[in-house]
Formats: sequence, C-alpha cells, structure tokens
Amino acid sequence: MSAEESPRLTLLLALADDDLILGHRHSEWTGWVPHLEEDLAFSSIAQDEMAHARLLYGLALDELGQGWDEDRLALGRSPEGYRNAVLCERPNRDWGFSLARQFLYDTADDERTAALLGSSWKELAEVLALVRTEEAYHLDHARTWFRRLAEGPVAAREHLAGGLEASLAEALAIFEPLPGEEELVASGALPVSNRELLNAWLARVGEELEAASLDYVLERHAPVGELVPTASGEIEETPSFAVPGVARVDGRWVHRGDFAGSGGRRGRHSEDFASLWEDMTGLYRAYPGATW
Amino acid sequence: MVKAPDDGVAAAVWDALSRVHDPEIPPCSITDLGMVEEVRVSDATVELDLLPTFAGCPALDVIREECEAAVAGAAPGRDVRVRFVLSPPWTSDRITSAGRKALKTYGVAPPSGQVSRPCPFCGSRNTVQESSFGPTLCRATHYCRECRNPFEAFKAKLIVLPAARGSARRERP
Repeated sequence: MSAEESPRLTLLLALADDDLILGHRHSEWTGWVPHLEEDLAFSSIAQDEMAHARLLYGLALDELGQGWDEDRLALGRSPEGYRNAVLCERPNRDWGFSLARQFLYDTADDERTAALLGSSWKELAEVLALVRTEEAYHLDHARTWFRRLAEGPVAAREHLAGGLEASLAEALAIFEPLPGEEELVASGALPVSNRELLNAWLARVGEELEAASLDYVLERHAPVGELVPTASGEIEETPSFAVPGVARVDGRWVHRGDFAGSGGRRGRHSEDFASLWEDMTGLYRAYPGATW
Repeated sequence: MVKAPDDGVAAAVWDALSRVHDPEIPPCSITDLGMVEEVRVSDATVELDLLPTFAGCPALDVIREECEAAVAGAAPGRDVRVRFVLSPPWTSDRITSAGRKALKTYGVAPPSGQVSRPCPFCGSRNTVQESSFGPTLCRATHYCRECRNPFEAFKAKLIVLPAARGSARRERP
C-alpha cells in the first residue's frame, strides 16, 4: 500500500497496528496464564487493544480510497504493509517477558497518546482521549506487576529482568521516526517528534528501573578480563551499555544514534511476524468476504 | 445530555430508550448508564447518538439493534438512524443515581473514585480489589473480607490527562 500511503496514514497505521499485533499476542495467553486473574487481565487488555485498533482503522478509512474496509485493513494487507513495531510481534516466551513488554509498551503508548491529545488532527485527538480512559487500566496493571515482581522472590525478579533485557532494545524502536515525520510535525498532526517522545519515555522508564534497582539491565559491565591498565597504571572501565544508543547523562537516561530492532514502521518485520500473520489472516484469506 | 424540544415524539423516544437494557448489565437501561448523548427528531427521521461505554464492548451491536426497534415502535413512520459517537468519551459519572442503585441491587458495586469499594452484599468496607479486570471489560474483581464473598465492581472510567511530570508535552517550548 506504499504507493497510496500518506504520512497521516502511516501515523494511524503505526498506532493501530501496534495495538492489533500486540493485542493478538496478548490474546494468545487466554486459557494459559498461570492464574485466573491474569487470564482475565491479558484477555481484557487484548480485547481493548483490538477495539482501539478498530477505532484508528476507522479514521484510516477516511485517508484511503474506495475498496477498503476495517477487515481488509486489519487482515487483508501483505506482511510488508503492516507498520507495527517489531517488539509487538515477538512471541510471548514466558509471562515475565509478556509483562515486561506490556510495561514498556503501555508506558510508551501513554507518552505518545498524551502528546497526541494536542494534535491539530481533531478526530485523532478525540479517539485517543477515549482510548486513554481505558489504557489507564493497562498502565496500572503493568506498573502493579512490575513492582510486585521486582520485589521478588528472586525467580520472579529474574523473569522480569530477563524480559526487560530481551525487549528494551526493540522497545526503543516504538519511537523510530516515521517516514514523512517532518510533514506531520510541521502540520501539528504529530505535535511532539518521536525523537523527543523517545527521550521523555526513556527518562521515565529509567526512573522506574532505578527505583526498582533494575537499571542494571541498561548497562553492561565489562568482564574483568577485559579491563586494561592505562599508561598511568590505573584501570579504567569503559562504560558500556547493553542497549545500543542508550547512555546515562547527567543522571538521566537518554538515547542517541541509531536504533536496534527498527524497521517496523517501514514494513520490515522479523521472522516471527510471518507465522503470526499466517495465523491472524488465515480465515480472511481462505474465505474472502466471510463475516463473523 | 441534550434533549430535543418535548413535542411528544422525543419524550416517547426517551421513554422507549429507558426500557432498552445493556445485555451485559441486565438491571441497567442505557439511559441509566448515560449512554444516550442526543436524540434528534424531525418530521421524517429520528437520529440517535449513543456513547459506547467501553470501545471493545461486544454488547454494542445488540444495543444498537434494540434501540432501532424501540425507536421504531415509539416513532412509527419515521426513519431511525442510530450511531455511536466517540466524543465526548463516555465516563462512569454519567451513570444516574437510579443506575447506581440498580447496579448495587444486582450485586455489582457502583463506580467510585476509590479503588476499594463497599461490599454490595453486606456493606462492609473491609474489602480488597483482587484484579482491575473481570468477566466483562467494564467490571473489576473484588473480595469482601467480612462476608467472604467475591464480588464485582463497575470500573470507574474518567478522562485521563497527561501526568504532571517530565513528559515531552511539558518540555515543549
């Protein structure tokens, strides 16, 4: 759909596809979560995310020509037509990973939807005002469990830390600049650039990680064997960060430089997306025009 | 809520809508829940603007069909158009006092600003929220330590403004 894709459409699809694809992953927990309350939680969050995607696809239809409808937008695109961040398509692995990802994603979503309330695009701001009344519960869920797991026991903390380590680099790419972003910022449709949003989000996540003494997942300490004495005889440790581009400057976590795990906004997805896409769109492709 | 001038038809439509119930919350009508934003009556049409309570609520299609039938009965001969609008977002403070009472009688604690809610069965305040999610999108799961009953509470749903902290919005020049 690249030939007809305006920057406004890309913005909508980035927001909607993130919700749809992560909602799909959350829904895979239905019936499998270790306890009933979390089964209801992940199932409800999945249901909300898919509904939010649907509202945004409704706006996207206004940007598209004839021949498009909600179902075709959600299920009728080829894999490279999806604009979701790669993080959203990764398999659930374990519940610690799913929770860490939900924490990082919903914190990021909160930052960007807060900024977009001030969008010059009135319809988008209205949809997101509604979405935020429901997202408040997702954020509350993520933060409650983040704190509970961070407090231990050790196995819980390790699962959470492992999930954070596995998802942080790709979480940065939620804020990968959109193709045509300059135009969106100039028109006020996107009132805050992704670069600014990323640093606001990272500072916020960094504070939460520090409060839970989990900020070590952002830093990689060089193994002792690699420390080399300098000419003065002192041993200097070169700061090394686990996530490319991330550094701690003046007490604040910031991102500089390139993105790891990016490409989703341009339709470049991981090998994990292929099987998700096959599953999600299978019925739609097998029975064109099916209703349910 | 904006009511059209009371020419008889509008009143009949509102009356009919007060008998349309949310299938997921049987004791409450859609007027109790504050879902009816506007009724517009003209010589040829009745137009209805409804607010969805939760965007992903699967009852919305049923509610739309029942509204169409109810309005057609109250205003025969007029075209009926029912649509869901997104602005203003529905919030839980739109639920009327009759609606709150009906929820409580049904065993669902009505929404409030507090996370913990009085038990709808025994009235005790010695309760705890087990989960902010429940059997439907609009309900959370609680437990009463006094009468030892699990119970459900209608979720508070409020306008969420950006947090007053170091967010990107505040840092803009």
